[in-house]
Amino acid sequence: MTGKSKTSVASILPGAVTLVLATVYLIVLLRVENQATILALLGVGIAAVVMANWLGWFASVGQSFGEREGPLGLLAVGLAVVVAGYFHGDHFVLLLLCTVLLYTLATLGLNLQFGFAGVLNFAGASFFGIGAYTAAVLNEHTSIPHLFVLLIGGGMAALIGSLLLLPVLRTRGHYAAVVTIAFALLFKTFLEVNDLLGGPQGLQVKSMVLFGWSFNNNIEIGSLELSFYFAYFIASVLLLVGAFILVRRLERSWIGLNLDALRLDETAAQCFGLNIVRWKVTAFLLGNFLIGVAGTLQGFVTGFVQPNSYTFADSLIFVSILLLGGIGNPWGVAVATIIVVIVPEKLQVIQEYRFLLFSSLVIMVLLFRPDGLLPRSVRNYFPGWRP
Amino acid sequence: MDLGLLAQYVMNGLMLGMMYALVAVGFTLFFGVLDIIKFSHGDVLTVGAFTALATFIALSALGIESSVVQLLVMLLAAIGAMAFLGAVIARAFVLPLRSAPPLNTLLITLMIGTVLREMVRLFYPDGANPKPFPRLLPADSVNLGGFNLRLDNVILLVAGALVIVCLQLVLNKTKLGLAIRAVAQDEETTKIMGVNFNRIVLVTFAIGSGLAAFAGVMNGLYYNEINFGIGLYLGVVGFSAAIIGGLGNIYGAILGGFLFAALQTIGAVSLPFASAYKDVFAFAVVIAIMAWRPTGLIPEKTSERV
Amino acid sequence: MTQTSPDALLTVQALTKRFGGLVALDQLELEMYRGEIIGLIGPNGSGKTTFFNVITGLYGADGGNVRFGGADITRSTPQAVYHAGISRTFQRSRLSLPLSIFDNIMIGNHKRLSQGVWFNIMRRGAFRAEFAASFEEARALVEVFDAPLADRMLEPVGGLPMIDRRRIEICRALISRPKLLLLDEPSAGMTHDETKQLMDDILEIRDRIQELSIVIVEHEMGVIERITDRCIVLNFGRKIADGTFAMIAADKQVQEAYLGLQ
Repeated sequence: MTGKSKTSVASILPGAVTLVLATVYLIVLLRVENQATILALLGVGIAAVVMANWLGWFASVGQSFGEREGPLGLLAVGLAVVVAGYFHGDHFVLLLLCTVLLYTLATLGLNLQFGFAGVLNFAGASFFGIGAYTAAVLNEHTSIPHLFVLLIGGGMAALIGSLLLLPVLRTRGHYAAVVTIAFALLFKTFLEVNDLLGGPQGLQVKSMVLFGWSFNNNIEIGSLELSFYFAYFIASVLLLVGAFILVRRLERSWIGLNLDALRLDETAAQCFGLNIVRWKVTAFLLGNFLIGVAGTLQGFVTGFVQPNSYTFADSLIFVSILLLGGIGNPWGVAVATIIVVIVPEKLQVIQEYRFLLFSSLVIMVLLFRPDGLLPRSVRNYFPGWRP
Repeated sequence: MDLGLLAQYVMNGLMLGMMYALVAVGFTLFFGVLDIIKFSHGDVLTVGAFTALATFIALSALGIESSVVQLLVMLLAAIGAMAFLGAVIARAFVLPLRSAPPLNTLLITLMIGTVLREMVRLFYPDGANPKPFPRLLPADSVNLGGFNLRLDNVILLVAGALVIVCLQLVLNKTKLGLAIRAVAQDEETTKIMGVNFNRIVLVTFAIGSGLAAFAGVMNGLYYNEINFGIGLYLGVVGFSAAIIGGLGNIYGAILGGFLFAALQTIGAVSLPFASAYKDVFAFAVVIAIMAWRPTGLIPEKTSERV
Repeated sequence: MTQTSPDALLTVQALTKRFGGLVALDQLELEMYRGEIIGLIGPNGSGKTTFFNVITGLYGADGGNVRFGGADITRSTPQAVYHAGISRTFQRSRLSLPLSIFDNIMIGNHKRLSQGVWFNIMRRGAFRAEFAASFEEARALVEVFDAPLADRMLEPVGGLPMIDRRRIEICRALISRPKLLLLDEPSAGMTHDETKQLMDDILEIRDRIQELSIVIVEHEMGVIERITDRCIVLNFGRKIADGTFAMIAADKQVQEAYLGLQ
């Protein structure tokens, strides 16, 4: 009954192989421009996943991640850098990768609220937008160092979110849903009519400067020239890794258990001493903070903010990512974000139809696979630990 | 402020209240029979309004010019189609999820709403932009000392009131209404007594969705313009109205609809300089009401068994 | 079994609870002592579960008071009641089905686990030690009930049969070492043999934890006769009898209200 056995090296293999194959696939997908080829590639990808699932491959991948999450996580980060390195001069692809990372970060925040604590939030894009607008305003009118701007953006999302705390805490289920929907609609309307925030046209965001170094310029290392988005990519990776570790540790602690307990049965949780308000507030504010930080950096990355980027439909995209990936599973969130962000960008015919497409997909998932593509597994407080 | 303007505000408030009430009644009906909130309700209203518009265009192309005939056919088409759509949604998506957590029903209806909204935006010709809605009601007006009482507005209000009265009669005086009320009271017993539960659910969803279609047409006739987002707005407001009145209570829903419209009108009267913010104000009121009275002015029957 | 320790653990005076016009608990009086096992019986709707819900703070009382270990807990929140040392099980099992056996038991251990955010996230070494100790303790507790079950601590509860779920619910209530355990129909939905097994388990637990007092709501008279020291019979929210099983079984009023109907 010892934790580490000689199979531990072998157990890492399915996960590592899958990560490498997925990376190669992603690079090919990102490179190809011809729409027919992309369509064929997507077909191949879906077929491969179905086949692997049929052969039971994903069970061993799941086990692999369950036991050796640390090394595999490190590998995933390394592979992400490889992808970015491969496309080092390509503005478009790097921007896309940043978007994937920051959407994953934001959805991790949503996961804390919705996936763990069961607090509904259908205004994710609004809090994301609060971060981005904070970046635009602070950047224009103050000289606060941009590292702090990131924190302030997160703080603003948490602060404005706390205005919703009273109704969200006093209501359950569908009532809380309506509060956040009303906020999402309010937020976008407010941005559109408020001239100080640029109205429908929005605002410009000046580029980021960290430790005296401007993110605006392409990076030259010897003869190698990297797109200026590469710096944003690295910043996004660092933030995401930090948030991922935070959310994982939270889940694998008594706090994660508290959140699950209050989501699954508030009455029983009360009878075992759980302070419902404390943990709901913690999850809601921390979740909003992560969403806000992601939005702030996204504001810097895109260079402008406008009301149309933060609509109710965009909030539903965050919810869709969570439901598709598997509520409560951060790896599922990452995979679903890659699909939801990259596929419409590459396959331009569906770009216009993406809200329709993903909401239909979520309906299918809810009907036929309610736990999502990668269902969350039973909590294991330490990866690889066995009694 | 002069009296004429005030009367104008009151008229507008009544009109809004009627539309909110019609939507709120739908939410309350669904909640009554199934204890669920159908978040696609508002978007059914949108599809209903667009169905009416498409019918109008088809009729005009056929050379039918009489506005009475046009209006009647439009109403029939919109209400009929939405009643069918409502029943289909209940049959295909809501009933199959009865054993799943209630959250899944909430999510699936939210996503169905998005699908409907996006379909209107993408597939109705130039659906992304606001569409003019025909003026089919007589535009005569009577001048009552500075205030123009428009005949079309009066017709709309009377029609709305008639629809609500008819609904009351159906619920209170018919066997079908009795069955709906019985299911809302106690599902298990009703089943034992031989009521076809699924059929009652479908009929209720059809009725509620038909009401939404009516409200959609009313909205089009009043503003002479519709867009793909009207249902989302009316859905959120209608739901709040249903909550103000206590979910599951029809009179409460109607009262809630008019109360909400009154609040909004008072807001508009007292803050005329902020007219651009009228929607912001409306949503803020929704949030404030939820914070103040999360289960409505008439409390909902809560009976969690422990 | 005779009463050795005369000091009262739980004292209930004139406790009243109304739901609209319905009086669910009517001037209920009750006294119970440390180490006692009391059977709470009565027809359906006689107020047994309501009694539990009022004691544990889920329902507010409309009158009377409840004292536990000398302190007034009448207006306490469920959280405070738990911290004071009362835990319970539920009539319709309320486990968190997607969570593991261990997680479910740890929900009941809330007051003995470190709840600080910093501790949980940053001090992983200390957390690991607390986790390991808790795991061993939970495992040992489950082992008392069913040894094979103790090897499946990380399996989700949703896949287990009813008897195992009941066991885990009782473990969840016991892990925090309460002074008073409220069992609400532990045998509901179980076969006769399973019920017998579960009662053996409960008696074993009682032997191990001498100070533990138990109130058990039960319909199976065999169970009541076998494990209780004393029975209290409720009818329409009123106490109609209080005594040993033999005494209440011979009581005319009880027979009319309850046993006579069987």
